[in-house]
Amino acid sequence: MSDLQAQRISRLRLGGAALHKLSAVATLLLLVMAFSFSSPAFLSVNNGLTVLLQTAVIGLLAIGMTMVIITGGIDLSVGSVLALSGVITGLAIKAGLPVLPGMALGVLTGALCGAVNGLVITRMRITPFVATLGMMMIARGLALQLTGAAPISRLGESFGLLGNGSFFRVVETQANGFPKVIFPGIPYPAVLLLVVALFGSYVLTRRQVGRHILAVGSNEEAARLSGVNVARTKIWAYTASGALAGLSGMVLMSRLVTVQPNEGVMYELDAIAAAVIGGASLMGGVGSISGSMIGAFIIGVLRNGLNMAGTSAFIQQIIIGIVVIGAVFIDQIRNRN
Amino acid sequence: MIDTVARPTPMVEMSRIYKHFGGLHAVEDVSVDLYPGEVVGVLGHNGAGKSCLMQILSGALAASDGQIFVNGEEITLTSPQDARKYGIETIYQTLALANHLDAAANLFLGRELKTRFGNLDDARMFAEAKAALRQLNPNFTNLKDPVSCLSGGQRQVIAIARAIYFQAKVLIMDEPTAALGPSETAMVSNLTLRLKDEGIGIFLISHDMHDVFDLCDRVVVMNKGRNVGSFRIEDVNKDDVLSLIIKGTLPDDWTPRGTTK
Repeated sequence: MSDLQAQRISRLRLGGAALHKLSAVATLLLLVMAFSFSSPAFLSVNNGLTVLLQTAVIGLLAIGMTMVIITGGIDLSVGSVLALSGVITGLAIKAGLPVLPGMALGVLTGALCGAVNGLVITRMRITPFVATLGMMMIARGLALQLTGAAPISRLGESFGLLGNGSFFRVVETQANGFPKVIFPGIPYPAVLLLVVALFGSYVLTRRQVGRHILAVGSNEEAARLSGVNVARTKIWAYTASGALAGLSGMVLMSRLVTVQPNEGVMYELDAIAAAVIGGASLMGGVGSISGSMIGAFIIGVLRNGLNMAGTSAFIQQIIIGIVVIGAVFIDQIRNRN
Repeated sequence: MIDTVARPTPMVEMSRIYKHFGGLHAVEDVSVDLYPGEVVGVLGHNGAGKSCLMQILSGALAASDGQIFVNGEEITLTSPQDARKYGIETIYQTLALANHLDAAANLFLGRELKTRFGNLDDARMFAEAKAALRQLNPNFTNLKDPVSCLSGGQRQVIAIARAIYFQAKVLIMDEPTAALGPSETAMVSNLTLRLKDEGIGIFLISHDMHDVFDLCDRVVVMNKGRNVGSFRIEDVNKDDVLSLIIKGTLPDDWTPRGTTK
């Protein structure tokens, strides 16, 4: 009898989890439809690719953020780490390092910042909020100090390739000698996002460390008693988040072909919002990469669509704030049932 | 139990264990031992140090002082993994389950089965978990649900299955029936006796006098961190044990009540 009841309850709950993702997809489609009506240019191949490009940075951050949030933590430092990684790469290239090793160094810088976050949280037992808030200021300060708050430019054309290149770009030379873009191509950042998202999802669902991330977030004490190395699992998650912040820094700075130590302010909030809209619970134990990707695209489409409709940046902030609160509210209703 | 000839080496012996939390002495100079196929009840008030003592044996807490022997050899336990290496498994009072994961993921938590490529072998873990859980409770159906959706009895079954699946030699059961209904309690009692018959040594922490007198061969009573009495169950009655738990001493007129000595 109680078995049957429990079964029935669980079916409802499982339905709830799927429902959340479904409602997120529905929201995304609804947004696309609404914006298509409000501005004719929104629903075009070109704009679609622009949204992909714009969402890539937030999407990459959201993948790492999802892992951290699932452990029950939060990473407020990703926006600053993104900038610091860019600065390190910029300085390295200026110092004569080729672009590829320079970018690898940037990603490594991000991973290092993440590892420091993880160590501070696990060894010094400082709450994730405070630890990563500290790193947020340290990384930003370092980025500004190293550059004197001035952008680093003239990094060479190849530095811009990652952010501006694309697959299957079709360009035709017109009779007057000017090129005409027939198909702008699928931007590298979008492909990178897809690859990293698939890999992140694989790690989270099919690898031991992913299982441990879920277990730690679900019940840290139980995980410890079951023989899970809680500290190592958390450090892993924060390091991944830092490395992905570094990677998204590469994408962003490459797109601008300039290193801006001021870039990425408040990006952590977009990444957190993407994860939460996608169904990750700030209490830990719940979340998925696919959900966070939907969340990232909801934010991306919202930003892009509001821009196209001529909404001011201030109004955009208000709307996104309301969307985040709404998403968390829906999540709470789901958990209450 | 009856012969008084030199007994074999105990499976587990905890000798002169101390545990301090700052100035608080949770366990002071406690020694206990356990033989194969024996159930030893560890009794005491809340805060008497019984859970603390058992957590030292399960590797969840480090002792401040004292020695632990397994089959006569001294060992050091620094983590739950260490204890498991020696075949010491624990069913925690809190069950130690990750609510968002399903039964199989919980059963294999920290000891996941993997494929050749290092991926999680969910299919095999599911099949093994199904067999292990069905063995304990044939009505166990909803294996793929997160354990937060399961009944108290089912959750308990997962916690027990996790301990015995990996061939425990020593089992620590911390209040295994505290959250269970009557039929589930009976199930756990039967299981305890079955495991005992298989030669597993069991430490049973319990508040339930009924359970203790039904299942245990010996009792160890703790009061304020000290071992105030170790008796064969035949030598004491419920009043004696209650007196030990509450006062820390036996009734004044106590003599061994067992008929065998």
